[in-house]
Amino acid sequence: MTANAPASIIPYNAVNTKSSRTFERQAEYAPEDFHDHLFELEAEGEWIVQRVPEPYVEVMTKFGRKKKIPLELTWHHKSCGQCGHIPGYSTAIFWLNRKLNFKYIDPTDQTSCTAWNYYASATSNAPAQAGVAMRNFAAAYETGYFPLIHCGTSYGHYKEVREEMMHHAEMRHQVRDVMKKLGKPLVMPEEIVHYSEWIHAVRDRIAALQTRDFSNLAVTVHPACHYYKLVQEDAIYDPDIYGGQRTATVSALIVALGAQVRDYSTWFDCCGFGFRHILVQRDFTRSFATRRKIQVMKQEANPDVVITHDTGCVTTLDKSQFVGAAHGLDVGVPVMSDAQFAALAMGAHPYRVCQLHWHSTEYRPLLEKMGIDHEKAWAEFQEDLKDLKSGKKEYLTWEDVDA
Amino acid sequence: MTADTTLIIGGGPAGLEAARLIGDLGQKAILVEKRDALGGIPIAEHYAALTHGFRSAEEAMNELIAAARANPTVDIRLSTEVVECSGAAGDFRVKLAKAGNGAGETLSVGSIIVATGFQHFDPGRETQMYGYYEYDDVITLADAEKMLKENKFVTPSKGTPPERVCFIQCVGSRDRQIGNEYCSKVCCGISSKQAIEVRQQVPGAKVFIFYIDMRMYGYWENEIYWPAQEKYHVQYVKGIITEIIRKGDRLLVRGEDTTMGRPMEVPMDVVVLAVGMEPSKGTKDVAKILGLQQNKYNFIEVPHGLDPTATSAPGIFVAGAAAGPKDLDDTMSMAGAAAMKAAALVAKKARAVA
Amino acid sequence: MGLFADKYPDVPYEEKSRLWEQVKADPRFPTYLYGCYECGICVAACPSARFYDFSPRKIAQAAAREDIELIFEQMNDDVWNCSQCFSCNRCPRQNSPGGIITVLREVSVKNGLKSAKQALEGYSRIIYKIMGTGTQVSPDMLQPDAFPDWGPQVRAVSADLDVWRRALPPETLHTTSTGWQVDDKTIIELYLIWHHTGVMDMIAEVDEGLHMILNDVMEEKLEEAGYEA
Repeated sequence: MTANAPASIIPYNAVNTKSSRTFERQAEYAPEDFHDHLFELEAEGEWIVQRVPEPYVEVMTKFGRKKKIPLELTWHHKSCGQCGHIPGYSTAIFWLNRKLNFKYIDPTDQTSCTAWNYYASATSNAPAQAGVAMRNFAAAYETGYFPLIHCGTSYGHYKEVREEMMHHAEMRHQVRDVMKKLGKPLVMPEEIVHYSEWIHAVRDRIAALQTRDFSNLAVTVHPACHYYKLVQEDAIYDPDIYGGQRTATVSALIVALGAQVRDYSTWFDCCGFGFRHILVQRDFTRSFATRRKIQVMKQEANPDVVITHDTGCVTTLDKSQFVGAAHGLDVGVPVMSDAQFAALAMGAHPYRVCQLHWHSTEYRPLLEKMGIDHEKAWAEFQEDLKDLKSGKKEYLTWEDVDA
Repeated sequence: MTADTTLIIGGGPAGLEAARLIGDLGQKAILVEKRDALGGIPIAEHYAALTHGFRSAEEAMNELIAAARANPTVDIRLSTEVVECSGAAGDFRVKLAKAGNGAGETLSVGSIIVATGFQHFDPGRETQMYGYYEYDDVITLADAEKMLKENKFVTPSKGTPPERVCFIQCVGSRDRQIGNEYCSKVCCGISSKQAIEVRQQVPGAKVFIFYIDMRMYGYWENEIYWPAQEKYHVQYVKGIITEIIRKGDRLLVRGEDTTMGRPMEVPMDVVVLAVGMEPSKGTKDVAKILGLQQNKYNFIEVPHGLDPTATSAPGIFVAGAAAGPKDLDDTMSMAGAAAMKAAALVAKKARAVA
Repeated sequence: MGLFADKYPDVPYEEKSRLWEQVKADPRFPTYLYGCYECGICVAACPSARFYDFSPRKIAQAAAREDIELIFEQMNDDVWNCSQCFSCNRCPRQNSPGGIITVLREVSVKNGLKSAKQALEGYSRIIYKIMGTGTQVSPDMLQPDAFPDWGPQVRAVSADLDVWRRALPPETLHTTSTGWQVDDKTIIELYLIWHHTGVMDMIAEVDEGLHMILNDVMEEKLEEAGYEA
């Protein structure tokens, strides 16, 4: 059997995996809404709750609660791995905001959430982690813009911090005192919002500006563990996607862009990132990513691309394929974020905006399928680089991209 | 004048048995049932065989229905709900309404028995990834009962007999994430009973039960559990499934075999979710209307350990699964006890007046 | 006394017990562990359990039993295998085996356990980067000798790094030694958080050299900004 003829491609759009039954969430069974506690603490003067600015879109989360997703006036909490190693990821998020004419801030008064390090090495502690989170939240609050979190781990970790800060008064007061020393107020956002939730909320606007036809693309989705498994109540669900039984984030975007979502049997599996493993124990990461994710996708769904929505997942799934290929494993599926995929649908430049040359697994056949002349695009980008090298230009700017 | 009648709310096994006994004592009973038919969940959800004794559920329920109906002092009102209640033990005033048209009737009763039962847990709320709303081949115990009753146990998506069937225990029970920390008591027995029935109806099928603890009390052990293992070769595996997902044209179930200490991934044709018991909507509504205390899980609170039919309101008794998960044996015993207490209260009041 | 032969008899019971008390004293611990009935859901969902002799169920069970010798054994031999993906959070008892492991690791680091030092060998440069610069990984870490298994593409990135960074339209991404441009004032605030929450002391326990270097870097910046380090 060749790589092009996988054993059992599931012959229909996977997000339509829906039984003959229809699930209706009933409010009476929802667990307590954390907002009650959040606002109680505000009323008691314990902290300031930063409200989601208008205009916002309301989406449904795991237990049927509505979550407000701000459209603009967002403060972009960037991601270490995205900015450092796959910068087309962050660039695409900003590009989408610009194309949709939304006001945002790309702050320099922002640190990492430091959670990657914490989950990797445990060389920190809960109050320190909360301190880092609350410093960033206060920095956003001071600008009047609302935090939009680029990294799935930051998003998950900040929700853990929110839980701890809500329920442990002693820690809350310790962190409040640290903030006082920094001259900052104690601020908790009304919602902790991941950028992929923002994309989910604006997916129809993105689709309305789509210039490239994706209907011939087969896509597998990898949902990020720290997005929907860590403090699960905040993740987005939709009755039309997977019968409301799996998170709809990412998958709903692919559907809106007209591509085909194909299912595979390790959908719920982690990518293998492992936090410390990706840095110092990559034999595990490589094995897991290729054997449990990429190979399974390839055999069961033969996708043109894997779309995911977190830093570690893009890195792991993309970079791990090189050794697999060298060993003759059935791998070779390009990997990118939902932001890059959406930007490409809207006509973004594959190198100037999506910066795909930072990605490892061969993506050019995918670009061809998208109707993109990648040779021409690469030549254009080489011209840019030439100008940068010669000193004719200092930086490639948004104006250059829009030109 | 003291009311000489007992109101029984609910026409399932407990309500029918209580009505029959009160009638047999020569007292008056009014039985109101919200549905347009008697027999409760076993009839409404097409149960096949009862777990204890493997008797046809329909046949057993019809006997109870006939006994209640044959009693001249038992007044049965179908499609009827209780909408208001006032007064105290020995002298309640209750308002009944016909379902749908709201036309009311107020009557006096001396005592009340609540027998409003349970409903099956909805697996859409499960926090494991069971995909009940994604895959037709993932079914519940109740769905399986219906197929077994028709003697047509098939893979729903294909219509053909399955080769591999598994049961997953404790779905919606013993689960803090869902908020149902209690054990539903009957699912281990019912799953084992169904496993035997599947093996009888589809002898070629391999059947697995994935469990945390098998709770096969008393005679369930020798009558069901051991025969399931020894005669019908049902495979019991200690370890619960966390994910069900399609692989090819089958379902893949993923769990840990905790005895062997290894993760497992096994293909299945049909997966049966052993859904637990939750208070029915009727139980929750009636508790509010009658002003009864409910426990954390919204079942009727039974405050006295040595009086399993007492509620927080004197003169109002509870029988069956309205008070928490019950098997039919316990339900019937409880119905007898509740009937005796309700009838005794009415009789005592009558003597006091005389 | 536990149920099994003690794998680390040279470490006194009192020491193992002291560490366990520190784990239990973490305010998060009561919501990370309730009890365990061995359903195996955590193992089934666990990526590490598929590649290592590792079981989040055994971690939860040992903690629930308070088997101090077994817990100490796990602190040494098992906890660094965890992927911290928190797939195990779907535990029906609402335990978080991954969360228990976070705390076990933290206590190992805080007490400078040999196993923690070993697990962090080769990782110091990352701690230096995150604590010193406020971003976890930087573009200039993408060197072929650091990531030989990522293929020739890493070489392409490192070859023209400065130009490739300047070819990024967002103004904050032109950096090579940090993920993005972070203000000095912001870094100083981060240092103050490390100092006021005891993180510097933790670093001293596991890596004295790193602690010295970090302290030097921080001291200078803090003093410039008028703070006492």
